[in-house]
Amino acid sequence: MNALESLPTWMRKRSTLVLLVVGVWFVLGTILAGVHTLELSTATNTPATDWLREFAASIRGSRAESPIFVYFFNPLRGGIEGFIEIIRAVIAVPASGNVIPIIGWFGVVALVGYIVYASSNWRTSLLSMALLTACGMLGVWAYTMDTLAMTVGAVLLSLAIALPIGIWAGLSDRVMAFIRPILDLAQILPTLVYLAPLALVFLIGIAAATIATMIYSIPICVRITAHAIRSLKAGPIEAAESMGSTRGQMLRKVQLPMARRTIILGINQTTLAALSFVVIAALIGAPGLGKPVIEALTIRNVGDGVVAGLAVVFLAVMLDRATTAAVQHSAELPPEGPALIRRRIGLIAGGVLTLVAIYLSRFQLWAAVFPENLVIGEYIANAADAVTEWITSTFYFLTIGLNENFTIHVLNRVESLLANTPWYITIIAISLLAAIIGGRFVAILSAVLLGAIVLIGLWNDAMVTLTQVLIATGIVMLIGVVVGVLAGRSARIERALKPILDAGQTLPAFVYLVPVLALFGPSRFAAIVCGVFYATPVVVRVVADGVRGVPSDMVEAAVSSGSSTTQVVTKVQLPASKRSLLLGANQGMIFVLAVVVIGGFVGAGGLGYLVIVGQSKPELQGKGLAAGLAIVLLGVVMDRIAQAGARRNEKKPA
Amino acid sequence: MTMTSPAPAEVSTDAAISVRGLWKIFGEKAHEIIDSPDARLPRPELLEKTGCVAAVRDASFDVANGEVFVVMGLSGSGKSTLVRCLTRLIEPTAGEVFFDGEDILTASKARLRELRRTKFSMVFQHFGLLPHRRVIDNIAYSLEVNGVKKETRHARAMEVIELVGLDGYANHFPEQLSGGMQQRVGLARALAVNPEVMFLDEPFSALDPLIRRDMQNEVKRLHQDLNKTMVFITHDLSEAMKLGDRIAIMRDGDIVQMATPADLVMHPADDYVADFTNDIPKSHVLTVGYIARPAGDGEDISGQPIDADIIIRDAIPRIVNATGPVPVTRAGESIGVIGTDDILHLVAEDASEGSAT
Amino acid sequence: MRNHLRGRLAVLPVLAAASLVLAACGGDVNEAATETTEEAVAEETVAEEAPEEEAAEEAPEAEAAVVADCGDWGVAMHAWVGYTASAQVLSDVARDALGCNIEQIQLEEAGVTYDAMEAGSVDVIIEDWGGGRWQEWVDRGAVQEAGYNGNVGLIGMYVPQWMCDENPDISDGTKLNDYAELFVTPESGGKGAWYEGPPGYTTIGEKIINAYDLDFQVINTGSEAALIEMFTQAAENQEPGLGYFYEPQNFLAQVELCRVNFPENDWSDTADASGLTDYPETPLVKLATSELLDSGSPFATLVSNFEWTNGDQNSVAAAIEGGASPEEAAAEWISANTDTVNMWLEGTGASM
Repeated sequence: MNALESLPTWMRKRSTLVLLVVGVWFVLGTILAGVHTLELSTATNTPATDWLREFAASIRGSRAESPIFVYFFNPLRGGIEGFIEIIRAVIAVPASGNVIPIIGWFGVVALVGYIVYASSNWRTSLLSMALLTACGMLGVWAYTMDTLAMTVGAVLLSLAIALPIGIWAGLSDRVMAFIRPILDLAQILPTLVYLAPLALVFLIGIAAATIATMIYSIPICVRITAHAIRSLKAGPIEAAESMGSTRGQMLRKVQLPMARRTIILGINQTTLAALSFVVIAALIGAPGLGKPVIEALTIRNVGDGVVAGLAVVFLAVMLDRATTAAVQHSAELPPEGPALIRRRIGLIAGGVLTLVAIYLSRFQLWAAVFPENLVIGEYIANAADAVTEWITSTFYFLTIGLNENFTIHVLNRVESLLANTPWYITIIAISLLAAIIGGRFVAILSAVLLGAIVLIGLWNDAMVTLTQVLIATGIVMLIGVVVGVLAGRSARIERALKPILDAGQTLPAFVYLVPVLALFGPSRFAAIVCGVFYATPVVVRVVADGVRGVPSDMVEAAVSSGSSTTQVVTKVQLPASKRSLLLGANQGMIFVLAVVVIGGFVGAGGLGYLVIVGQSKPELQGKGLAAGLAIVLLGVVMDRIAQAGARRNEKKPA
Repeated sequence: MTMTSPAPAEVSTDAAISVRGLWKIFGEKAHEIIDSPDARLPRPELLEKTGCVAAVRDASFDVANGEVFVVMGLSGSGKSTLVRCLTRLIEPTAGEVFFDGEDILTASKARLRELRRTKFSMVFQHFGLLPHRRVIDNIAYSLEVNGVKKETRHARAMEVIELVGLDGYANHFPEQLSGGMQQRVGLARALAVNPEVMFLDEPFSALDPLIRRDMQNEVKRLHQDLNKTMVFITHDLSEAMKLGDRIAIMRDGDIVQMATPADLVMHPADDYVADFTNDIPKSHVLTVGYIARPAGDGEDISGQPIDADIIIRDAIPRIVNATGPVPVTRAGESIGVIGTDDILHLVAEDASEGSAT
Repeated sequence: MRNHLRGRLAVLPVLAAASLVLAACGGDVNEAATETTEEAVAEETVAEEAPEEEAAEEAPEAEAAVVADCGDWGVAMHAWVGYTASAQVLSDVARDALGCNIEQIQLEEAGVTYDAMEAGSVDVIIEDWGGGRWQEWVDRGAVQEAGYNGNVGLIGMYVPQWMCDENPDISDGTKLNDYAELFVTPESGGKGAWYEGPPGYTTIGEKIINAYDLDFQVINTGSEAALIEMFTQAAENQEPGLGYFYEPQNFLAQVELCRVNFPENDWSDTADASGLTDYPETPLVKLATSELLDSGSPFATLVSNFEWTNGDQNSVAAAIEGGASPEEAAAEWISANTDTVNMWLEGTGASM
């Protein structure tokens, strides 16, 4: 890049170079449109996908006989399934011939309430019980219990693995260095991509779903736990060392107790992640609320889908509040004197009440099976149906018009740039952009990984998908930055937005897929809209955090020197929170990528569709697996470019 | 850990701690630099050339039993690093640290732990209390890791709590206490194991000036009652003067001067030290013996003598109220007299050097 | 803090132990529940069959006269409403008449379900369109064909009726190129939009397009829902639309569609299809696990005997689409068609 230094400054600016590259790309693309686009019809296999198909078939064949299955995978599957089934037997699934599981609804509500009370306070306990009862009122109690059982089971298993690893990584730099790339990869991996391979090895069912959930949750817990240990204040640790503690004593008596609060926070995050995934895992046989949601999608039953989705949100809010309250509680000083006595009385009384409730739930029908006359789920379903009907019929022309215009003027243009240009030109263009944004190394990496996609044979589909991801990410950033800045500057707006953001992050994407489908028809645009819904809450949160983190004296200085609001935002707050903006873009991109596969359900085509069709048609399973791999490669390319760009930004002088 | 400084001085058997040729260099090439001439480069040049920082250079000194040995210097002088090297919280690059004839730099991890549990203890600038433990459990921690039973260690903790004036706070949590109280806990914790040597790293720098004064008095009192050997780090020369039996002044990793407070004030080794000591009023540091002069003709030396080792400031009321010069004795023998004029001369000297009185 | 923790923790194990102790005893609520449901069933049966008193008397008898022990079985549920209709009727008959413990498991069709059958979590597919795509699993002994279910499936490409009314020869598939421009949408890149069937369904759209060099672009809508949506809009708003659809599907009774025909079919496995000929009339197949078929359970007999017409399926499907729950729709059909049901139950000793 030394040659560049001889050019005039304005030519060296990155934005100029980017425009230059895109311009040339566009021209070449228009001239050479349709040439060497590597388009492939869905039903055709390439050598790579053929190989994968045979590989998949051979795995299916060897599931009964091959030693690695007989001695490892199959027993693992059996063990995990057995573990979850035990939990389900207690709260969710009746044994043969019975009407209720071991504890009926009343008992479960009381038990949950007691556990929450014991780990935090009575207010959170009441809230939890109310939310759980609300799930019953929605008419999906059995499903809710299944989801709860799956979540609890998956979380317990995840913690058993993640906590020790996280602690180890917190203590040892070498372990951390080893694990970090795995954690990074796990974060980029779109969830639906590893469902198919897992189902291949572990068969559709509870075991595969649980393992998939664990793969999703463990990295989160490991990261937070390691961070908890590493970010401890140095003072007390130094003191403990100076007093002659062994490493074991240090860990047990000092580090873990001090890290406790953050570790519990990690459990909070892990639980929410597991819950959201358990719903998706219904695709590979997980019992629970995911089932009616997916059913709703395929039978276009908006109402039932919304009801189940609501139950997921309630459950998520309950778990979130309960675990967060536990975090607060763990950091408080224990009660003394009269407060301690009150607490003791509360615990004993609560325990007795809970036992009574459990007893009742076994012997009284009204306490065992959720009473029919309290169920209002049907009304909500009908209302949701009606609302969707109304919106669709009233705004149909508006939405279809929007779809068409956007598709013609934006989507198709970008797609022809990426997919309709000769593949070698596109790869070179992307690599050049990567070089400009992130440097030489990232450019080479991009070229290599994109080349791999060509070799696999899924180039055209990958470009179709990439188009949707880039456009969706762009829209997400636009909305996310604007709303995020607003929320960052005003605590009131943030409070108002909080429930929407919470719901947005926990609502399974499937739920709003159905109304989106009705509004926009099966199209790539519908998939983009879903991606925007799914990813925007995260970006808003990250940007708001960043803006809020700008030191207030910086802002005050700007204001007192006479800057207008716009100037303060664009010249002070945004630049100062640049790091958060880039992090937000990165996160937004990853979330959008996760929705890409779901887009295959609503006509987005591309790699997402291939993943879905690979699951159903054995002759295309190789393509499905290959498509999953291609999605991962795309994700890595985009992530690396974004991160390298962020790093470079930090090094550049202001 | 090879010795690289010039021929070792004899290790004094009277000393609690003997340090010989202690070096600490931070950086990857630390060990290469030790024997090379680069080691003598000033810090910025060393950093530029090798990327390493010499925090402690060739420190050698003895700490006598029962002494309060103060290491004083500005930030970056290496004093905190030095004290941490003495207990191997930071591993020195070279040198020897003898404690009771044993070079602890070569001790095994287990032996080091034993020493830390029973012979040494440390008080930290930011207290270093374990936030999740009550005061009593914080104090008893060292005993706990040493396997002492709960009853025994709690009993000992209560003793020490009384000693430092924390009665009634045994069941509090650190966050419920003020800074001064927290440092008392720190002191109590250090005393709980009945150590032979206490290391105090700027223990009062984080406290308010008034509390600081109280705590300094507290330490003086404890030292008088218990006669513990103390290595005390500070950046405040007046604190050093007040507490120290001997003071070592550090600058850029070197020990620039090591002397009693009086010596320091009277004979600063260079301008750097003089800069510090100029601010100290001599009358607060020097003893009567320093300015006692032979009796002149006609002076009445029959009055009640005053001990030569009393600090002048403390002797002023007596001298001012006396009708004439006061005889000065040391161990019964007369060494001279002291009068108000002599004190005024001293004050004038201080004033001309720009000190506040 | 430690004491506090200990106090708290101590209560939980006690609670857990107590819960487990309680778990051992009690089951009255099951009886209470069974009583309630028995009452409900009896009420229903009495109300519906009041005129037929013999039938009303038979109902409690049927409860008592469970023949061989039926067992626990899994019925695969697939995403299209016709399937739901068939599977619900089958499951309900099995439960009510044979006392079977049936679990209905929602799954993607084809490979996913065949795997589940091999794993043992699913035992019956009541309607498969696949033309032999299950061969691999049959070879491994996991799956067996259990006969035809009486429904005949016919897949095809359809357009809204108004298009056939205006241009009669649009129903000749070989002439589609003349009308390709009508079907252009922003999604189809300048060509006509050819809305293809959902992922697991038998589809040869691309082959047909290639064989006849049609100026169309396949659009993968991803679900039956999307296709229905498309056709509904096209019919309501008099817009063009060419899409994959099939009989039996009661949607065809609600919205008039016109089939686009290609030369007569000459294949049954999609791998053999050249693209020049139309979809086959597929007698729909029942698939079951060897475990079920060899078990001697009355459920196996029921599955083997299960058979009904497209009209039957459509009527139940219509009820479901109209807002009834699958259980309600099935119950309605069952009580109106006891003769058919009893034919299925021949050989099991039970009847409805």
